[in-house]
Amino acid sequence: MALIAIGVVAIVGLVLVNLAQRVDRLHRRVISSRAVLEAQLVRRAETAGNLARTGRLDAASTLIVAEAAWNAAVQAPRLVGGASDLADTGMERGLVESELTIDLRAALGDAEDLTALRADPVAAAPLADLEQAAYRAQLARRFHNDAVVATQRLRQNPLVRVFHLAGRAAMPVTFEMDDDVFR
Amino acid sequence: MKTLRVGLLTPYAWDVPGGVNYHVRDLAENLMARGHHVQVLAPSDDESDLPPYVTSAGGTVPVNYNGSTARVAFGPLVSRRVETWLRDGAHDVVHIHEPIVPSVGLIALRAATAPVVGTFHSSQERSRAMIIANPFLQPGLERISARIAVSEAARRTVVEHLGGDAVVIPNGVEVDRFANASPDPRWQGSAEAPTIGFLGRLDEPRKGLQVLLGAVTAVRRQSPGARFLVAGRGDIDDALRDAGLPRDAVEYLGEISESDKLALFASLDLYVAPQIGGESFGIVLVEAMSGGAGVISSDLVAFRAVLDDGASGRIFRTGDSADLARVLIEAIEQPEETERLRRYARTAVGRFDWGTVASRVLDVYAMVTAAPSDHRGLLERIFRGRR
Repeated sequence: MALIAIGVVAIVGLVLVNLAQRVDRLHRRVISSRAVLEAQLVRRAETAGNLARTGRLDAASTLIVAEAAWNAAVQAPRLVGGASDLADTGMERGLVESELTIDLRAALGDAEDLTALRADPVAAAPLADLEQAAYRAQLARRFHNDAVVATQRLRQNPLVRVFHLAGRAAMPVTFEMDDDVFR
Repeated sequence: MKTLRVGLLTPYAWDVPGGVNYHVRDLAENLMARGHHVQVLAPSDDESDLPPYVTSAGGTVPVNYNGSTARVAFGPLVSRRVETWLRDGAHDVVHIHEPIVPSVGLIALRAATAPVVGTFHSSQERSRAMIIANPFLQPGLERISARIAVSEAARRTVVEHLGGDAVVIPNGVEVDRFANASPDPRWQGSAEAPTIGFLGRLDEPRKGLQVLLGAVTAVRRQSPGARFLVAGRGDIDDALRDAGLPRDAVEYLGEISESDKLALFASLDLYVAPQIGGESFGIVLVEAMSGGAGVISSDLVAFRAVLDDGASGRIFRTGDSADLARVLIEAIEQPEETERLRRYARTAVGRFDWGTVASRVLDVYAMVTAAPSDHRGLLERIFRGRR
């Protein structure tokens, strides 16, 4: 009888340790992918600023993109650092980044305008940088949100909740923004 | 850019030709051409003529999985080889193809310490195996930092079966090799005798040869000189008998080599892809478009996506020979429109070129390797303390 009880306790213990390891692994994935996302968003804003500085966009676009890029890269709250990394919805940041996306879309115009800009010797390289940075930011956001969704799902597991396997870590939330600059 | 050590894994036997293995081979060679260090781990029964970058994970076992037979590898010996290969490789990124196929990839998911990228190739309707296995798969899937799907169809399969999402990066094609191939006069047609081609297993109903054969008589009535060229493994006599056609209704080229395939697509007036299902991507369509053949395909989701909803080629109702005949006759009778579609197709294939595709894959690698990761597990950190 006692042996059976010990066996049951051991099995339950193993299951719990295994679950705790999964939660821990996912939390680390959320934190590291969030840091990558932050870095990529800054890179995206910097490349947008560089493109504006070439002076190859029209005067109004130059001002608006430069302002939006500055807001995104410097003024808006960061996604990492600070006390509540995981719980921070990044809502304000998301709005600022979306604004940069919308301004870029308007400034870059349609497919024909883009083709012309790509052929411009001064604008071509900064534009290519922006295209890569925008694509990478999309990837980084997708991968981050994937990690968040997986974490949320696992933390709904009753065992994880009853035994507090997530510790005091706040529930992560996805980062939402309009990131489709070149559609 | 920094040189990466990349480990690629494929679940299927290397010596069996197939889409996933071609993809892995081309990706490996493109990454190496850019100066990266690439290793491939694949099951293999014949270890003597593997390329230098491929390591065998052991012999294969044929298993029925998801409705078709695949040769995969598993078991204790395979597990040890996977672990050794991962440890010795010291990869910056481990890229597992078809990670939920029960083979080396699924084993590597548990053992990998480097960031893991997973590429999902197949698309399928709800599969019982996946539903039952889902709870067992989840812990492994949680270790994949970035998921790639080769098409929207494959992505939908990921979303529906596994939860979460994936970024779509299409399969690659060496567009230039097809675009620069020289045509073969035997397969070139003329206005009176256009050549119409088919390429695929003759006896596999999914490939749709019977759909094409069903259209032959109707097309000949309008365009008596039209020549039908059929290439692929199988018994042509059986296929023609099933379709009720005489032996000389088509020209059978047999199973053709890779270089003949290049010449075929450069020569054909029209290439028909009459597949009736089970296609997740449609790489052969991209190859035909790159070679310069006018393309006509069935209405499958994956094909529609490759053809930009008909901007690169004509589309007919899947499995409907009468509709295929109508579209074929239209393509023959409106050569200007066919030429316009062909010209659009030649530029549209750029997004499938390996140059573009490999750059996107490298973008994904850059995103998963950007964060410094602590490889130590939870227990190790608790008992050994934080760094």
